[in-house]
Amino acid sequence: MNLPLAAIWGQDPGSGALIGYLVGAFILGVVMMVAMTKMPTRGRKPSVWIATFASGFFYFLFWIWPSPINRGPSDLPVGFSEKVGFGLQDALPKVANIAIILTAFLLGLGIYSLLHVHLGRLFKKQKDWQFSLILVVSMVLMIIFGYWDWMQRQFNDPDLLLAKMDNWGFVNYSFDLLFDGLLQQMDAAMFSMIAFFILSAAYRAFRIKSIEATVLMASALIMILSIMGAVDMVYSNMIDSMTGGDPGHFLNDAKITAVASWVKNTMQVPALRALEFGVGLGALAMGLRLWLGLEKGGVS
Amino acid sequence: MQYLDTAWIGVAVTLVMVAFVLLNIVRARGKEGGLYIRRIPGLNALDDAIGRATEMGRPVLMIPGIGTLNAISVQALSIFAHVTKSAAQFSTPIKICCADAAVYTVAQEVIRDVYQTQGMGDRYNEDFVQFVSDRQFAFAAGVSGIIHREKVAAAFLLGEFYAESLIFAETCNSVGAIQVAGSTHNTQTPFFIAACDYVLIGDEFYAASAYLKREPVLVGSLVGQDWGKMLIAAMCLLGCFIFSIDMTSAPTTKRVTVGEENGTSLVEFQAVDDSDNMEDGSLRKKRSSDTALHHYFHPVVSPGAFQDRNRPQKEEEGS
Repeated sequence: MNLPLAAIWGQDPGSGALIGYLVGAFILGVVMMVAMTKMPTRGRKPSVWIATFASGFFYFLFWIWPSPINRGPSDLPVGFSEKVGFGLQDALPKVANIAIILTAFLLGLGIYSLLHVHLGRLFKKQKDWQFSLILVVSMVLMIIFGYWDWMQRQFNDPDLLLAKMDNWGFVNYSFDLLFDGLLQQMDAAMFSMIAFFILSAAYRAFRIKSIEATVLMASALIMILSIMGAVDMVYSNMIDSMTGGDPGHFLNDAKITAVASWVKNTMQVPALRALEFGVGLGALAMGLRLWLGLEKGGVS
Repeated sequence: MQYLDTAWIGVAVTLVMVAFVLLNIVRARGKEGGLYIRRIPGLNALDDAIGRATEMGRPVLMIPGIGTLNAISVQALSIFAHVTKSAAQFSTPIKICCADAAVYTVAQEVIRDVYQTQGMGDRYNEDFVQFVSDRQFAFAAGVSGIIHREKVAAAFLLGEFYAESLIFAETCNSVGAIQVAGSTHNTQTPFFIAACDYVLIGDEFYAASAYLKREPVLVGSLVGQDWGKMLIAAMCLLGCFIFSIDMTSAPTTKRVTVGEENGTSLVEFQAVDDSDNMEDGSLRKKRSSDTALHHYFHPVVSPGAFQDRNRPQKEEEGS
C-alpha cells in the first residue's frame, strides 16, 4: 500500500522537489507551533488529545493487527487483513519519523534555554559566570567544528580519504581534539567517579543499624565472597574434605557459590520479577490514561 | 503482532488488564468516599522535604531522569507538579533539570500552569526549568555543579535513571539535602536505596499521583493495576501447579528444530521414540521443554506458517 506521504520521503536526495517539500514542511511546522502557542488553553487541550489518540491508535493497531512475516520485497497483499497489515508495516517508519522531526524542533528550545540561562549569567556577571563562559565557548566551538568536519566528510570526500588520519586537516584535528580528546575523556572521568560514590554509599548503607541493613550486609558479604576466587577455593576445599568429594552430599549446598546462587535465584530474581510486573502494569495504566485523555498531567 | 500458535494469549491477558483498569476507573467515579490506598512513606516525605527547604531558604531540586518523553517522565512531571504546588505556596525556589528537549518543553508548560493555577504567575521564573545537556555524563556533571553551587535542601530524583543515579544521590548527600528517589529501572533502585533517604520502589512510582491527588480516575486505575497483579499472581500459582503435575507424566512428544528461515527457527512436534530412552533402556523423564506451559511461552513457528511463495507480486519497473 502506497501512502501519500511516501511521495515526500521517496524523492531523490538533493532534488529540487525534496528541498521544496522540506521547506514546505518546515514552514508548516513553524505555523503549527505558532498556532498551538496562540490557541487558547480550552482549544489546545482537545487538539493535543486528538493527536495523542490518533498516534496511540496507530501503534495499538500495529500491535494488535496480524503483521506479515517473511514478507518479500515484491509481495502484494491478499485480502483485507493483509492489506491493512502491509499498510501498517509500511507506515511505521514514516510515523516514527514524525516523532523524530518534532524532537528536532524541541532541541532548538533546549538550546534556547541553555543560552538564556548562561548568557544571562554572563552578561550580568553573576556568581560563577566563568563556568557559563566556558560552556558557551565550548558549545559554539563544538557546533562549528562538528558541522565543518561533517560537511567535509559528507560533500568533499567522495573517495573517503578522511577515513585515514594522514589526510586530516586543521578542521578534522580540531574536531577530534574537541570530541575524542576532551568530551569523551571527561565523560569517562565522570563515569569513573561512580566507583568512589559506590564506596561511600555502600559504607552508609551497610552500617548495621536495623534488621533490614543487617540482611543487606549479610547478602552483600555472601555475594562479594562468592566472586573472590581465593575465598571460594579455600572454602570449597574445606567442604570437599568434609564430604570426601561426594557430589551428592548435602554439605555441597553450603559452598559459598551455591549459597550465592540460591540467594540470587530464590530471593532476588522472584522479587525483581514481581517489581517488573508492577512496573509494567503501572506503565500500561499510565499509557492508557494518556491515550484516552484521562490523565490531566501535572495540573489538577 | 504475530498470532502464530499460542502468541494470542499475551494479547488476551493484556486486554484483560486493560479492562480491569477501565472497569475500576468507572467504579471509582461512581463510589462515594473513594477507594483505599495504603500509606507510602516516600510520598509522605514529599511535604517534609519541601518544608525543610522552606525553613532553610534553599531550593528544591527535581530531576525527571535522562529518558525521553514517555510514560515514566510524564509520571515524574506529574509528581513534580504536586511538589511545585506546595513549594509555590511557601515561595520556595525550585529547579528542574532536564536532559531531554521534549521533557524540558513539557516540564516548562506544566510548571508554568501550576504557578498560574495557584494565582502566582508573577513568581514563575523561566529559569526554574532548565535544559542542561542530552549527554548522560555532561548532564550528570552539570547537575552536580548546580547541586553544589545552589546548596539544594531537597532533591527529588524521579524518572528514568542509569549510571548517573549514584552521582546525583551522593552529591545531594554531600550538601546535606534530603533525597526522595524512585526509578522504574530495577538496576538503579538498589543504588537509590543505598544512598537516598526515601525511595519509591517499583510501581509505587506510578501510584504516586493517585496517592497525592486522590482523583477517582487515578485511584480507580491504581485499583485496576492491583487486580492485574492479583491475576498475575494467580496465573503464577496455577502455572506452578500445572507444571508440577505435567512433569510427573511420561513424555509423548518432543520439539524438534527442523530448519531456519530468515533467522526464525522452524519447529515441529514429533512423537517420542526409542532413541529418546535412557542408556539402560528406560523411558527418559520429561524435560521442561516437553511441557504444555513451555509450549505456551515458546510458540511454534512451523514450516507451513510462512506465506505462500505463489502470492501476487509487484510488477518490476520498466517491465
